[in-house]
Amino acid sequence: MKRQIFLPVLLFGLFSLSTAFAEEQQEQNKFSGEISAQGTLTHVNGNEAKFNEYGDVRNGLYGDVKIKYDDDKYYVDFYSRNMLYDTQSYDLEGGKWGAYKFNINYSEIPHNFTYDAQTFYSGAGTNNLTYPTHTPSTNTGTWNTFDYSTKRKDYSAGFKLDVLKPFFLDFSAAIDERKGIYPIGAAGTNPGGISLELPAPIDYKTNSINLLAGYVRNPLFISLGYFYSNFTDSDTSLNFRNPATNNTASVTDTYSLPPDNQFYKINLKGALKLPLNSKFNVDLATADAKSDAVLRNSYVDDIVGGLRNITLSTPFFNGEVITNNIATSVTSKPLSFLDAKLFLKYDDRENKSDVITITDATQTPATFTNTLFNYRRVKYGTELGFQLPANFYFLGAYNHSTISREREDIPDNRDDLFSAELRWKGFDFLTARVGYERLDRRADFQLTDPTDIETFIRRFDAAGKSRNTYKANLDFFPADNFSISLGYKHRDTNYPDTVLGLTGDRGDEFLIDVDYLINKRIRLFGSFDYEYVRQDQFQRQTTGTVDPSLPPVPAAFNWTAAQKDENYSYAAGAEIFIVPEKLTLLLQYSYLQADGSVDYTYLLGANPLPAGRTQDNIDLSNWDGYKLTCVLIKLSYNVTKSLSVAAGYVYEKYDYNDAQYDGYQYVPAVTGTNGAYLTGAYNNPSYESNVGFMTVTYRF
Amino acid sequence: MKIKKIKGWLFSLFTFFLLVSVTTVFQQSATADGDYAGIDVCRACHQKNYDSYLKSTHAKAAIPGNPANKNSCESCHGPGLAHVQTGGAKGTGMIAFTKKDDPEMKQAICLSCHQDSTAVPFWNLSRHKVNGVSCSDCHSGHSGTKNNLKLAEPALCYTCHADIRAQANKQSHHPLKEGLMKCSDCHDQHGGSGPKMVKADTVNELCFKCHAEKRGPFMWEHPPVAENCLTCHVPHGSNHGKLLSSKPPLLCQSCHDATRHPGTIYTRFETFPGSATSNKNRMIARGCLNCHTNIHGSNAPSVRGQDFVR
Repeated sequence: MKRQIFLPVLLFGLFSLSTAFAEEQQEQNKFSGEISAQGTLTHVNGNEAKFNEYGDVRNGLYGDVKIKYDDDKYYVDFYSRNMLYDTQSYDLEGGKWGAYKFNINYSEIPHNFTYDAQTFYSGAGTNNLTYPTHTPSTNTGTWNTFDYSTKRKDYSAGFKLDVLKPFFLDFSAAIDERKGIYPIGAAGTNPGGISLELPAPIDYKTNSINLLAGYVRNPLFISLGYFYSNFTDSDTSLNFRNPATNNTASVTDTYSLPPDNQFYKINLKGALKLPLNSKFNVDLATADAKSDAVLRNSYVDDIVGGLRNITLSTPFFNGEVITNNIATSVTSKPLSFLDAKLFLKYDDRENKSDVITITDATQTPATFTNTLFNYRRVKYGTELGFQLPANFYFLGAYNHSTISREREDIPDNRDDLFSAELRWKGFDFLTARVGYERLDRRADFQLTDPTDIETFIRRFDAAGKSRNTYKANLDFFPADNFSISLGYKHRDTNYPDTVLGLTGDRGDEFLIDVDYLINKRIRLFGSFDYEYVRQDQFQRQTTGTVDPSLPPVPAAFNWTAAQKDENYSYAAGAEIFIVPEKLTLLLQYSYLQADGSVDYTYLLGANPLPAGRTQDNIDLSNWDGYKLTCVLIKLSYNVTKSLSVAAGYVYEKYDYNDAQYDGYQYVPAVTGTNGAYLTGAYNNPSYESNVGFMTVTYRF
Repeated sequence: MKIKKIKGWLFSLFTFFLLVSVTTVFQQSATADGDYAGIDVCRACHQKNYDSYLKSTHAKAAIPGNPANKNSCESCHGPGLAHVQTGGAKGTGMIAFTKKDDPEMKQAICLSCHQDSTAVPFWNLSRHKVNGVSCSDCHSGHSGTKNNLKLAEPALCYTCHADIRAQANKQSHHPLKEGLMKCSDCHDQHGGSGPKMVKADTVNELCFKCHAEKRGPFMWEHPPVAENCLTCHVPHGSNHGKLLSSKPPLLCQSCHDATRHPGTIYTRFETFPGSATSNKNRMIARGCLNCHTNIHGSNAPSVRGQDFVR
């Protein structure tokens, strides 16, 4: 309500002020600006959180203000958007031409997930979730409601000094605050057990500063940078009563939330022009991330019905990861028809965190430690471009990289990447390109124990693979008022070493863009995009033998899954200049459809499938499927040079359909210990919205 | 053996360039000569362009080396006397910065002043340069918009990167189309040594700038997370929640196939209306993430943290 009163008063005040300025400064023309007020009427059927996932569109009055002062020496720009709404931002920038610049900014970003989520816990949004009796009520009508939603507030300021040219100084600082409630999940017991969906509090603050100083004058650029970021979390743990254990109200389970951390980085960058139209570039950096946490020496255990004590070699964890980066390159154009580039890049991650020794009698072995992950990456390569006769240009590239990491299964990768592209600009109105890229990844696999299923798994992030990518593009602009772009891309990845895991990944994409201005009165535009992606997996379900080559039995068999995503989207629109520079009508329609599916196959040989199942009735035909339809109609009228009005209507319909949310239940009725207490997070995001708006803009 | 030879060849070339750099003599920038008509003559025919030029930073005489301190319009478009003398005829060497003009020539004109700017020291490393994109494809020398951009982001970037537009319109996306983020928040369009021209040395360093809570370092790490966020996420848009490249449980099962539940086939029978009497909570809603939410790292005790369930 305050917003509804304050905003009109503010806009009216600014309008009056701007009129005065406009009259006073007309001759000098130093002040300029724009004030706009937009009234919006909104009607949403369905999920308002998804409709406003990153927005704050509702019934009300929205205001934007731009004010600019600009003279021969100084300038100041102020721009505010969506004042007093959840998407508001305020930017003040200014400075003295050629001497210095400053900026002060504030912005908000909402992220809405689900409104009116439900839980039997009380205390949603705090770090303590409780409920009164051992077994929670399954009557969701008695549960508490809350919203899964976060809001980010960014405050930042910066200062750039140019007056000491060729030396420069650039300083900026920012505070990023994020608050809200976010869905997390916990296993009631471990291993297995029921799933608990919990509302976790988010109360983060990140302070950062960035300092850059250097020298730039042809042929030399050199800069030294320092970046510091300090992240603090008001809640580094979430306490909750666990209904899966034989608990009492006095025994609280604890969920670990992100720890505070600090990050420092020092960076030296340089570039030096060399003879033969060449340039040498260097980028050196070292960074250090630190965190600390007090470790708990017990956890809630269903077997003991209370806290199970464990022994830790130290009650504190000090995390530290150091990363180093060296990147050097030389680019050159020694001959008019030749472009060349050589580069070498090295980066590593050294984890110097504490290794904690844990003794937990429930585990085998009872004593174990956390594993620290490190890696080292070296990459080098070359790129050669040739200007060929008949306006052809050929670009060929090769790079090789090696990755060494602390990992038991695949400690090393060696990648060879070749690419070639041919461009042709034979006509002023046409550019055509075709490209090909080939990646070969070799992976050193270390495990050999045939009784361990890990021996057969190849994790796709590091598994050996070969990938072919083909691209073709055509940009056709026969006239300044007409352009067509066509693009096609095919990608095919095979994992020849993989026994269990992702075995193939392929995709095709085709797109068209058209823009046509007819007689300076009508602009027609449209686009079409089609994408098909398929991922194939080969897996094994077993409580017995692990070797996938053994004949299947009901307790140990292989299965496959093919995930397919087929998307197509198109948009078409017209901008009609009914009265040029006076009255404009904009019509726009867009549609996006994503059809996801999964085809499963049991590889059971002659063994029967589990009761009721056939190879056909197990598949999923709705796997993150959705349709999004948008219509926009907008009529704009420039009443005078200073005053314009616009009115419009936006229709949006989002239909989501997914097998994991079909028939959603807060407490799924399953036997045994595999149930769940859910809260409705991400459930049923479909919506249909109608938004009407009218905008008045005054420029001065 | 072949690879070794290539390596040797590459390093020889690299060393050669470094040696050359030691003997570098600072180059003198060439000065252009010609017959200039003067800004008032240009204005006589190109009033609209003159007006927009005045709104741009190029018209600010207080900035050293600006066109306003040199030959104004002709600083960029070239000497115009011949153009005037032929009554405004084409083919007199004037540069109009159209799509048809040679990109390298257009770049060279801009860089003749902006090479001393902090914005473009690594333009030579930019994919835009390699792909024949010139400054004037994105910037106007005349407009009064911020950074003289011809269009606001992301629309400007989408004029070439239509595939990214298609990604960003998917249901799971960063708030680009809502206008709360820009492409240039993550990418340095003018080039750098980071992958895909991102404003960081590694992908993770970039992501952690906004998602600092994922930085850890955690006692229990998930190695693919620590190595590269893009193992599981796609940055521009996805049909799957949280910008995931695939959907749990199948995404997780791509790597985790073991006895008990990681290797189990979860089908339509394990969905809410399905008739399975066990294992449903590994499939419904968020699949594996119903329990293993702390997948980015955990400081919880014992296997509770090791399995990322606390």
